[in-house]
Amino acid sequence: MKRTIIPFGPQHPVLPEPLVLDLILEDERVVDAVPTIGYIHRGLEMMVERVEYTEMGFVAERICGICSFMHGMGYCVSLEAIMNVEVPERARWLRIIWAEISRVQSHLLWLGLGADAFGFENLFMHCWRMREEILDIFEKTTGGRIIHSVNRIGGVKRDVSDAELAAIVVKLEELGKAFEKTANVFGKDPSIRHRLSGVGVLSADDARAVDAVGPMARASGVVMDTRLSGTYGYDQVDFEPVTETAGDCLARVVVRMREVQQSIGLVRQAVEKMPKGEGMPLENKPRGNPVGETYTRLEQPRGEVLYYVKANGTKNLERFRARTPTFANIPAMIKLVRGCDLADVPNIILTIDPCISCTER
Amino acid sequence: MANPLRLPMVPRALRNLVSRPATRRYPYEIRPRFEGARGTIEFDVETCNYCMLCMRRCPAAAITVVREDRIWSIEHLTCIGCNVCVEVCNKNSLSMAKESKPVHTHAEVGPQGQRPGHEEWHGPDPAIAAAAKAAAAAT
Repeated sequence: MKRTIIPFGPQHPVLPEPLVLDLILEDERVVDAVPTIGYIHRGLEMMVERVEYTEMGFVAERICGICSFMHGMGYCVSLEAIMNVEVPERARWLRIIWAEISRVQSHLLWLGLGADAFGFENLFMHCWRMREEILDIFEKTTGGRIIHSVNRIGGVKRDVSDAELAAIVVKLEELGKAFEKTANVFGKDPSIRHRLSGVGVLSADDARAVDAVGPMARASGVVMDTRLSGTYGYDQVDFEPVTETAGDCLARVVVRMREVQQSIGLVRQAVEKMPKGEGMPLENKPRGNPVGETYTRLEQPRGEVLYYVKANGTKNLERFRARTPTFANIPAMIKLVRGCDLADVPNIILTIDPCISCTER
Repeated sequence: MANPLRLPMVPRALRNLVSRPATRRYPYEIRPRFEGARGTIEFDVETCNYCMLCMRRCPAAAITVVREDRIWSIEHLTCIGCNVCVEVCNKNSLSMAKESKPVHTHAEVGPQGQRPGHEEWHGPDPAIAAAAKAAAAAT
């Protein structure tokens, strides 16, 4: 049969960021896809050569606008490991709280985009309205809605009072209840089911074979969550990773919906377990320049992120590398796109939650 | 064909028809920024001792300090609002205002070639300042 090549992107209504897929079609069926990335490469990793290591955290934060807190935290955690800096306990808990709130924010953003992709504009607006309340929490506690700039090597820069933390928990629980109704729509609406159920099925074996990470892997039944390793204070909170077994687009939506509730629960646990009081130490300042290298793994909203930092004793690091979750999920996306209908391609691409800014840095 | 009354979004959509909008009528109704929000850097020329620490620590190189001429200047378009200069300032000359200044564009270059977002303070000459201080002490 004659083959047709359809370029998908860089500009496409469902794509929030530029990604190109050359879809090779036979009739309406995709037989292969060739991804091209590199439209928004900014060379942020190269900036370590001229930006001092104390200032690089702000650059790391700007890798991506949705998981900016986690990128800043990952950079600081790596440097703390190299320089043997102990983070004060309250600062560690505050990092967990902010990280989990940013996970809620990211998933709400994605659920909205997902709803928009399958043409449910009303639902999209509702998800983003809820996200706005989360951004308000960020503005109150960190000073910025998107770029928080609270992480420093050795701790965090701002404290949040206990009363304010309690208010945040109350607000998040209210949001969780409101979100349940929205989640009900995602789970029960027949048109959504018809559009997503059974589309783009990734089996557990395939997920392992293509090294899928994050909600993508968990929707296929692979229990994989970097938070389970218990680093950075996650050993002191109780949680079960959210998994689904279907592995289709709907399962990936459901995993993210349940993770919103899980993160709200984690924030509540963290607020209960963190040491209370005013004026507790939040930062241990590092001394001297870093020497050595380290790997850091964190669980971002999109999956596992990996940072490699190599320092040589000068003010500038030798190498800073971030392997972001979307980059790891692109092979899985290509696998899913092969064999599906052209009309399902937007949904499949969107359910991996692509963050191209992260991927290209 | 599904029964439209059984669709889970329908009650919500009907309620939306009669409920108040979730958004503000933006240009007429503006929410003030929260306490502690990071907006624009403010500078107090009276207390600064031109130690140049803010200039050295600024990750975006937005601040320029000339100690000899007692000039402190900032490029608001380059500033990333990270709050580092406020943290390192020993004299508490710098503070973070919660409101942001209006957005500038590069088309707004002034008649004397002033760059948009550039703000500059000139401190008093040290000799004159010392003389004024001595005069104040004498009276």
